[in-house]
Amino acid sequence: MKIPSYDDLAPSIPDVHPRDTFAGVTRLVHEPEAPVVDVRGRLAAPAAHALFACLRATTTAAAGGVLALARDFSPRIERHGDACVVLDVSGLGRLLGDAHGIAAELRRTAGERRLGVRLAVAPTHTAACLLTLHGGDDVVVTGDVGAALASLPLAVLDGPAHATLLEVLRRWGLRTVGEFAALPADEIAARFGALGIALHRVARGIDARPLDPHPGVPRFVESLELDWPIEALEPLTFVLARLLEPLSLALERADRGAVAIRLALRLTDRTTHARLLQLPAPMRDARVLRTLLQLDLESHPPSAAIDVVTIEIDPAPGRIVQFSLLEHATPSPETVATLTARLGALVGEGRCGSPVLLDSHRPDAFAMTRFGPPVRVRAGAPGEPRRDGGVVLRRFRPPVAIRVAVDRGRPAHIAIDRKGMPGGRVERAAGPWRSSGAWWDAGDARWDRDEWDVALADGSVCRIHRDRETERWFLNGVVD
Amino acid sequence: MATARAALESLLRDRKLDVTLTTARPWETAAEYQVAATGLASVDRPLGGGLRRGHLSEIVGVRSTGRTTLLCRAFAAATRRGEVVALVDTCDRFDPVSAAEAGVDLSRLLWVRERGDAVRALKAANLVLQAGGFGLVAFDLADVPPMAIRQFPATTWLRMARVVEGSQTAVVLVAGERIARSAGGATIALDTPAAEARGTWTGSGDRARVLRGLDVHPRVITPRGR
Repeated sequence: MKIPSYDDLAPSIPDVHPRDTFAGVTRLVHEPEAPVVDVRGRLAAPAAHALFACLRATTTAAAGGVLALARDFSPRIERHGDACVVLDVSGLGRLLGDAHGIAAELRRTAGERRLGVRLAVAPTHTAACLLTLHGGDDVVVTGDVGAALASLPLAVLDGPAHATLLEVLRRWGLRTVGEFAALPADEIAARFGALGIALHRVARGIDARPLDPHPGVPRFVESLELDWPIEALEPLTFVLARLLEPLSLALERADRGAVAIRLALRLTDRTTHARLLQLPAPMRDARVLRTLLQLDLESHPPSAAIDVVTIEIDPAPGRIVQFSLLEHATPSPETVATLTARLGALVGEGRCGSPVLLDSHRPDAFAMTRFGPPVRVRAGAPGEPRRDGGVVLRRFRPPVAIRVAVDRGRPAHIAIDRKGMPGGRVERAAGPWRSSGAWWDAGDARWDRDEWDVALADGSVCRIHRDRETERWFLNGVVD
Repeated sequence: MATARAALESLLRDRKLDVTLTTARPWETAAEYQVAATGLASVDRPLGGGLRRGHLSEIVGVRSTGRTTLLCRAFAAATRRGEVVALVDTCDRFDPVSAAEAGVDLSRLLWVRERGDAVRALKAANLVLQAGGFGLVAFDLADVPPMAIRQFPATTWLRMARVVEGSQTAVVLVAGERIARSAGGATIALDTPAAEARGTWTGSGDRARVLRGLDVHPRVITPRGR
């Protein structure tokens, strides 16, 4: 009777995807839709120069730094959850020496960054991953992978998909990975099927598939060192255009838009003029981005000539908006961003946008926010106006000081020194309406006033108030 | 002759000048997409539905005649339709609290607050109009001295009308006296009631009296003199 080998069993072996891990342990999942990987050659003989390192964070704080550490050593990395990263270090031999040298450099860098990690270097990524699951010392394997894994407890293979299988192995008296790996593959296949043979292969440290590199997040950075320093902003726009066009192209290829632009200008006085532009919506039109940068620099010019221009873009997925033929067209986010930037440069920052009412009884309590109209009418948007129309004011900011003659506690005559302002005898008056607040504030925030609505003989209807602290009268606005 | 006349009328209609220069068409009720209703029947009816889109209109009147009330009603009606509106406020007089009470959706309002410089406000208004996409744009010059407005070149308003011509934007100037309107625009003159009749007051006696608002008495002057 012929004893089947792995080569014979390979077509029925399910794919082992290290990303499908549970509690840091490789879980075996059969994925019929996944592309079939020809594992025959790798089963027999792994690549001669293949070398993988596994970094597993031992603390929550280190989890964030492990990925950055791996990226600094290799572009081919594969993430196993948040805390574990496997990286292909096959090409680092010339730089760092053999596997021991690579492990030492990884350990040294992790120490510099104060990252608590377990480290293993092995010819297969499966073995490297398993070796970090047990023990605290760094492990470097250059020879027989199976021998290196032999002493590991069987629990390192634990996982929800094959808990029953491991329970059977424990009842058989098996305690280590090596004892399981020593069992004949055909007997495992006969008793446990494809799942069993896949786990047997893992126990021997054999990769079922090549490394699946994590694509990562590309950085969108362009920089240009100028031959001659630029002093004026106009020639700088050509430089900005030259940098933004490839960035815009890269964003388009990645199906991303810019949500923030970071501009860093290194100046001739060895300082850096940095600007951050937050955009209302992801956009990638190079002309729009250039205009926004140009307008921002006009408002915030650098203090010296420019040596180096660097632009970095924070990407975000593009907008997907379904417009309706039944709704009114509104300005696009690009148009709004450009318009508000131009208006901000013209009338001043914070003097254009949408007003937002504040939750306060303070008169004229509002704040300015960035203008970004919703695509659709909000459910809580104001409905019908008041039937009586309400009192619509034209406010004076700040209120205008006035002189008021009082008769029996009510305003009788108003006089204002400024030309073109309302004034005269009071025909009708309604009030006073007392309002006060922020009494705990020692500054200008507190108010305590009596308000009056008055109709004057010149035809004006005004709102005035008397400050109860200073006993002075002010004109708040004109009802119009 | 008839063909030439038809061609000319067609051309005028394309430019939205037909209601002004031809005698054949009366100032009739327009489709909703051609006008921006103000929400006040006394204004919308004589205007044929509302302020003409693509044209420059004006709201004129002296202090406390309801210019801002009418403007807020128009803003409220526009934002209820889902449009985006803009206000170029030359003297920073707009009151968001009373506008919200009048029904304006403030999230759809672009408010440009100038400190009294009419020239800079005019530049801001041009920027807003050239950007496009707004349903109603108001340029508030009500508290600007007439002398400052008269110093604008005569072509200023023609250029402004030219910018919005054919667009879906209705432009309205708010001022103390008549400034300009485009060929298809209208002047909404707010008449001055008797001084003692200004405002809607409720309650009898000094202590119980409350000001409820202003009575707006609009008189619409269209290009056809109605």
